[in-house]
Amino acid sequence: MMGANDHLAIEAYHLMKLFRLGSEEIAAVNDVTLSVKEGEFIAFIGPSGSGKTTLINILGCLDNPSSGQLVLGGRSIFDQGKTLSEAKLTRIRREIFGYIFQKFYLIPTLTVLENVVLPFTFYRKPGAESEVGEVLRRLGIDHRQGHLPGEISGGEMQRVAIARALVNRPKILLADEPTGNLDTKRSEEIGQILKELNQKEGLTIVLVTHNPSLANRAHRVIELRDGRIYQGEEPCDPKAGCS
Amino acid sequence: MINIFQVAYKNLLRKKARSGLTIIGIALAAWVLVSLLGFNRGYESSLNKDIDNLGFQMLVTAKGCPYEAATLMLKGGTGLRYMKQEIADSVASQPEVEQITPMLMQAVFDPNKGESGGITAYLGVDPATFPKMKSFLEFKQGGWFSDPNALEAVMGYEAAELEQREAGDLLLIPTKNVELKVVGVLKRTGTQDDGTIFLPLKAVQKIFGIKDELTGIGVKVKKEADIAQFEERMYRLPDVQVVSLTQVKQTIMTLVSTAKVMVFSIALIAILIAVVGVINTILMSVMERIQEIGILKSMGATAWDIFKLIWLETLILCLTGGLIGTAMAMATAKLTEILVRQLLPYAPSGGLVQINLVLVLFTFGVVTLIGLISGIYPSWKAGRVRPLDAIRSQVE
Amino acid sequence: MRNLLFSLILLLASATQTYGAVGCDLNDPDRDVARLFPGSTGYKTSYLSIAQKGGEALLAKVEERLGDKFHGLYETIDVPYTLYDIYQGKQKIGYIHGVNQKGQYGGIQVFLALDLEGIIKSFYFQKLTSKFGKQLRDPKFGQQFVGLSLKDFYGYDVSSGKATGPSRVEQIKNPAPQAEADFRAALRAVKKNLILMDEFVLGNQYLKYFKPFGGSSR
Repeated sequence: MMGANDHLAIEAYHLMKLFRLGSEEIAAVNDVTLSVKEGEFIAFIGPSGSGKTTLINILGCLDNPSSGQLVLGGRSIFDQGKTLSEAKLTRIRREIFGYIFQKFYLIPTLTVLENVVLPFTFYRKPGAESEVGEVLRRLGIDHRQGHLPGEISGGEMQRVAIARALVNRPKILLADEPTGNLDTKRSEEIGQILKELNQKEGLTIVLVTHNPSLANRAHRVIELRDGRIYQGEEPCDPKAGCS
Repeated sequence: MINIFQVAYKNLLRKKARSGLTIIGIALAAWVLVSLLGFNRGYESSLNKDIDNLGFQMLVTAKGCPYEAATLMLKGGTGLRYMKQEIADSVASQPEVEQITPMLMQAVFDPNKGESGGITAYLGVDPATFPKMKSFLEFKQGGWFSDPNALEAVMGYEAAELEQREAGDLLLIPTKNVELKVVGVLKRTGTQDDGTIFLPLKAVQKIFGIKDELTGIGVKVKKEADIAQFEERMYRLPDVQVVSLTQVKQTIMTLVSTAKVMVFSIALIAILIAVVGVINTILMSVMERIQEIGILKSMGATAWDIFKLIWLETLILCLTGGLIGTAMAMATAKLTEILVRQLLPYAPSGGLVQINLVLVLFTFGVVTLIGLISGIYPSWKAGRVRPLDAIRSQVE
Repeated sequence: MRNLLFSLILLLASATQTYGAVGCDLNDPDRDVARLFPGSTGYKTSYLSIAQKGGEALLAKVEERLGDKFHGLYETIDVPYTLYDIYQGKQKIGYIHGVNQKGQYGGIQVFLALDLEGIIKSFYFQKLTSKFGKQLRDPKFGQQFVGLSLKDFYGYDVSSGKATGPSRVEQIKNPAPQAEADFRAALRAVKKNLILMDEFVLGNQYLKYFKPFGGSSR
């Protein structure tokens, strides 16, 4: 199912990321072109070394590409040769993205609630505070508000991390191996949550995973090998004039 | 919600032992700093007080072995040197002199004192001139004698305490078996006057059979006088020894300045050690939290936010350490004083370690500065962490 | 330069003379304990004061038992009293306790060596300034106190110098009639010493012998 509207959340054109390894130059991301619609849920899969994490870093403005173009919500971010400073990237990121990772990175001396609202210490979108309660409820952790991370389960911890990623109302949620540290049952729960967030809230989700059942919850699965898109739809280049 | 101060403080709680040890390091530096500064201040002011409390600017004594006279001051004894009364008159007639006061010290051996007897010293003073020169002496009971011939005594507080004497009691001069009436007990001064028994000059002369001779003359110099020139002239008087207390004060102040330099060097070293300790601790904790910092960045924290956070952690450590160190220094000030008295051969009699608000605030300022400076490098390093570094560790 | 040195020494050296506090310590405990308690092997020193042990209320009681108020600048509620517990091996064999008392010409320090029941074994003037010091310090004088206890002294009125009823204290003779003031002071010192011992250490076992003068007995 596609999202309600056809606006593109992410457009990437000919992205390249080169690394120097000794005397050789390796392309971790090798000429990748793709687009993600608003409200779409896509998953990247592929073997180790396929470059999926490198790609998602670029899409998520965590890293600069060596060349290529990235447009987010119609706004050009990376363009040929222009490198953005870390400070600038931070400002772009916090408007648009929320992130979750394999390791939960909760601060052990802060309660669940304090961990969730931690982003507000640094940046707060107007009106975001009032929705915190709702976010906690939606993720089923509002009864754990006063507990410390050491007192809750792994699945709950990841849900706290998700809540934290959502408090500033991001447009896109980037998830890098979110179930890597969880067992099957908990992984299923997380998968379910992501699905619901996408369906009910219309949240655009970009997922990287090794877990096939998790990947299959997405609208689209894109496989990467050796830095290139291997399978899945090769979307039309809008500039070339297709719908 | 949660503010950055709470985050910083709770971060420090994650490694309680490490934070605790660092705080102890800073507390020790602060403790040393406050104690040393307090000692510096106390020593200087007590010394000044001792000197100023002598009352006269110049002391003239009979020429002789100076150490004998000093020994008398210490333990009493015979072998005193005397000078003629006329010398007092000639000194008094000098144009620069505002006032003189003649003094005659005598001592007796008291077989009843202590285990095998001890020396009791009596200082004969002129009631017309001495009290005025030492006008800051206050009485706990009674007052000065007025009749220069009277068999009366004024006792320093500790001399009175030792004998349980109060105004109106009798005092016995052993060996001479003369009875005196105590007419005044002085309040504590923190100087050697506390242990002195003052008698009228003429009474001492009569009791001890010494006519027209003195052991000392206190001299007060006119304000506008040229002290240096006067001193020169006095030094040339035959048969007497002149001690200029202004000179003494200056020499001591020079000594004190040298001591000050030493004291500050020690304090500086203590501070440097603390700084190194703090930098090490914070740096280590930053290195351990690289990934977490990366995540904070991904939440929207800027480099400046991270810098602030780490800097705040440093500051909290330093201020807590500073608080504890200062409190410890104040609590142990008395102990430090006892220790110092054991170590130093000569120390003034007043409070040796004087800690006041200014000192405390100064130390706090220094400790805060330590915090701010030591925090800069680790905070800057932390600020430069990229979220990428956090994620990289997950790279296949 | 010699002047400078001289004055420096004058100034500073004199200040190192420290006068004792109002308390009453033995001048040389090691030697004095051995002398007053031959056969002892050790002692423990402690400091007690009325302020510490009972404050104003206790002071009032002590004054009543003494039959006299505490006077003057130096006989106050916070004066520290030195108590020596005397040991032979691990066993406590007695006490030494000293008090200050104002004498005619100077301070008097009276030390009593007591057995565990509070009976005087030895009387000792550590300090005494008197024209008749020789007579008062004579061992014959101190001997008169041996064997007495607070029971005997409760019958003695320090203000009048008389005893109510038969009292062995009456039998203590003053060796020098002109030293009456110091003689009476010594007796007051002993009574005070014993009262404090009874209160601080012996649990007031002698209190039953106390009858207030001129009033009905408790």
